[in-house]
Amino acid sequence: MMEVLIFATLNGLVTGLLLFMLASGLTLIFSMMGVLNFAHASFYMLGAYFAYSISLYTGFWPALIFAPILVGALGALVERYGLRRVHKSGHVAELVFTFGLAFLIEEAVQFFWGRATKSYRSPDILDFPLFTLFGQNFPAYKAFMIFISIGIFIGLYFVLTRTRIGIIIQAAITHPNTVANLGHNVPLIFMGAFGVGSGLAGLAGVIAGPVLTTFPGMATVLGSIVFVIVVIGGLGSLAGALVASLLIGLLQSYAIASNVGMPDLLNLLGVSFERDHPLNDIWRLTLPQIAPIMPFLLLVIVLIFRPSGLFGKRES
Amino acid sequence: MSLLQLEGVTKKFGQTEIIRDVNLTIKQGEKHAIIGPNGAGKSTLFHLISGRYPVSSGSIHFKNVPIHNRKPFEITRLGLARSFQVTNIFPLLSVFENIRCALLWSMGYKYSFWHLLDRQRALNEKTESVLEEIGLHDRRNFPAGELAYADQRALELGVAIACGAEMILLDEPVAGMSHSEARNAVALIRKITEGKTLIMVEHDMNIVFDVADRISVLVYGEIIASDVPEKIRGNPRVQEAYLGEAVEKPLIDSTGGGESA
Amino acid sequence: MRKAIIWILFAIVLIVLPLIFDSILSISIFNQMCIAIVFALSYNMLLGQGGMLSFGHAVYFGLGGFMAVHALMKIEYEEMYFSVTFIPLIGGVFGLLAAAFIGSFSTHKAGTVFAMISLGVGELIAASSLILVSFFGGEAGVSGDRTYGPTFFGYDFAQDIQVYYFAAAWMFVATFFMYLFTRTPAGRMANAVRDNAERAEFIGYSARRVRFISFMMAGFFAGIAGGLFAMNYEILTEENLNAATSGRVLLMAYIGGLGFFIGPIVGAVVLTLINSLLSNYTDLWLLYLGIMFLLTVMFLPRGLTGFLMMHTVPWQLGKLRTLAIPYTLTAIPSAVFLLSILAMLEMGHSMDSDFSFFGVALNPASYGSWIGLIIISSAAFFALRLTLPRLRSAWAEANTLPAVVSETVTTEGQQ
Repeated sequence: MMEVLIFATLNGLVTGLLLFMLASGLTLIFSMMGVLNFAHASFYMLGAYFAYSISLYTGFWPALIFAPILVGALGALVERYGLRRVHKSGHVAELVFTFGLAFLIEEAVQFFWGRATKSYRSPDILDFPLFTLFGQNFPAYKAFMIFISIGIFIGLYFVLTRTRIGIIIQAAITHPNTVANLGHNVPLIFMGAFGVGSGLAGLAGVIAGPVLTTFPGMATVLGSIVFVIVVIGGLGSLAGALVASLLIGLLQSYAIASNVGMPDLLNLLGVSFERDHPLNDIWRLTLPQIAPIMPFLLLVIVLIFRPSGLFGKRES
Repeated sequence: MSLLQLEGVTKKFGQTEIIRDVNLTIKQGEKHAIIGPNGAGKSTLFHLISGRYPVSSGSIHFKNVPIHNRKPFEITRLGLARSFQVTNIFPLLSVFENIRCALLWSMGYKYSFWHLLDRQRALNEKTESVLEEIGLHDRRNFPAGELAYADQRALELGVAIACGAEMILLDEPVAGMSHSEARNAVALIRKITEGKTLIMVEHDMNIVFDVADRISVLVYGEIIASDVPEKIRGNPRVQEAYLGEAVEKPLIDSTGGGESA
Repeated sequence: MRKAIIWILFAIVLIVLPLIFDSILSISIFNQMCIAIVFALSYNMLLGQGGMLSFGHAVYFGLGGFMAVHALMKIEYEEMYFSVTFIPLIGGVFGLLAAAFIGSFSTHKAGTVFAMISLGVGELIAASSLILVSFFGGEAGVSGDRTYGPTFFGYDFAQDIQVYYFAAAWMFVATFFMYLFTRTPAGRMANAVRDNAERAEFIGYSARRVRFISFMMAGFFAGIAGGLFAMNYEILTEENLNAATSGRVLLMAYIGGLGFFIGPIVGAVVLTLINSLLSNYTDLWLLYLGIMFLLTVMFLPRGLTGFLMMHTVPWQLGKLRTLAIPYTLTAIPSAVFLLSILAMLEMGHSMDSDFSFFGVALNPASYGSWIGLIIISSAAFFALRLTLPRLRSAWAEANTLPAVVSETVTTEGQQ
């Protein structure tokens, strides 16, 4: 039991931090530009694919550096030539644009790389168990993922709060016009922010690809969960995104690891139902079964009781 | 009979007090102006009365019914309408549709999806007459967002009064208008608020002294004076608020042709 | 009076269409169009008319459809005596109930929050449908048979042509009622709330209530579309509830044009054609659809209908003809550019060395083909850029009112 708890917690932490890496970029872009980037998870997918292709020639480590940069550059281009043009048509048009972009990127990935799953593997140097507890291994690569994630956040926090550009960005988030009037090139800042946000998503893809498998559907799988996180945490709140990411990562992990389900609950209550009872499906539900839909269940519950999310601010 | 009563109304945003302990009584049929330096909180006061913001403390009663902290649509349905300082109409709808929508609730249509609007004679006739009154009849099919500024202000006014409210709040109705436009607007305001109660926020002193029965002066969220126009003119505290010091001679020519302070 | 003529013409077209195009494929495409039109129009009640962007509208379509199939099964096993002609109504009612439940907590805000809630709810229900096997049938879905139950004036729905007239009739009626809705207080206030939700509150309306009503109406008509789907295909699966279907209806409405009532109709027709015909010619049709969608969002934000409507002013001014030459001059390099890009994409996708594009033999392995296409496309692109200024000035000219020297202008200036 203890080992299940420890490993489930660790795995949940890995997933949660990864989700936060995606959610934080999304939140930053939303706070600054008011647009929820549907294609954010697509940049994550591109990061994995670029890293895969680069690693075929150079191995994992150069890919870790260059793939996110490529994705970030692509993101900046998208902002400059696509999003900026659509910006004047309003928020709805921007959302629809990023939705179309997500669609296009998924098709483009299938065009260039095909539909099969890519065998993008973690580097051999990290391919050992970090520790063994109660007979189960915890791969060093996962620990590496945790360290990278935490390192990125510390770096991001440092840049945002201690450097000049960070302060300018913080100001531009709430008062872009004032910042422009002070002489800063706000469009350039936006392009840079979008690029960095996308690059971060790409980085998440680079390190997650080996673990979560690299295939054309990886953006859709993660994409909706990331949006759910951002809404549950409260649109525009980084703290909320962190809490929601960890919450969902851990909850899913525990759900998958456990074998508890409705039958156990019903047994406890001494209730049982016929085999062909109309609601039989619900009575036979187990936690591992509902693990994939837990984020959405949580979303609906949170929104019913707290419409602005956990840490929600006023909608921009 | 007092129509609107504010008692001890306070509004804080975070730690900052914008409205401090405001007490105000408006009688039925009164034309009341609220003046004060910029940033005094006049628009905020309107937002509190019309339901856009909740009060931090205190109470607001309209027709002896508490309206503080209620939703704007509930307050409007009780008979209190307002216009906005920054034009706030329905830009994609035509001028005609703007007015017609403003009339819908007061004519009892509620959320009906079984009445065909074009067939409602009384509704359409009333819309036409409101359009005539505000002088926009010949532009009835223009998308509201494409009107000239003064016309948009007239439409703004029209939407506010169309629903036949007993009390109308006008927030700087002639802001940004030229002299002649403002003159026309004031004549329009007087015409359409006949028999109704009016609260107006305004900077132009000529208009204020022309229209108002009583004036309240709001400075830093407090009402420092509330009286008939003549008494306000000579009030040293009011002069101090505007000029920084009291003066001996009244600055404003009582014959109404002078310059504003 | 003019409006009545349009409706009559519409009805005539619907009646006559299968007599002109009478192949099995055509009838099948028409049926798909009818379903798509009702679905897309219901979606536009939310987006174009209400300003509510939903990423989960397929839920009401799918739920309505599933309920309809279950009803078909009940009729087949004689547990219910009901003419299948009214099956779409069952779909509609179930869609309405679902929308009433989901709308109760999701219509408080419009904008981004609404979009995200719709996405989450859509995913939740689509995923749940694989778990709740008894109602949704798991991966295989639920299937039924429409040929049972009492016949309707001799219709037993065994033939496709009967299904067409059935679908067309329902589509006509649904379109008519959705049109009428836009002319009611609830429909108009939906527009007002879209334009300025705050001001709508200050004229006595709860913006939330207005949105909720639109939401339920949209759910009702989406359910009807689902019922039509059930009758046409006799099977519903999880795919009909999922995000891809929701995305498809968004595409239809957007490409057709959100700001016009007929926009979604245009979008539904165009997208159904692309869906059924283009997919026969190329594997890459989804990629092209994505590109087309993105280009529409960037360059034609008012959709195809909007693009056509842009020409009303020149037409009224009688200047439409002046655009003919500039359009042709721009169209030729555009077409060349487009075709060369398509050739490169198709060539890159195909592995054959004897690949041919519209009769021109190209070899994916040789550099010659690639270099040739790159040169052609670049040249076409630059030629295209060169024609744009002329198009722009012709367009401005075609929209200018003829100069009128007015005496009132001079007298006003002297006041």
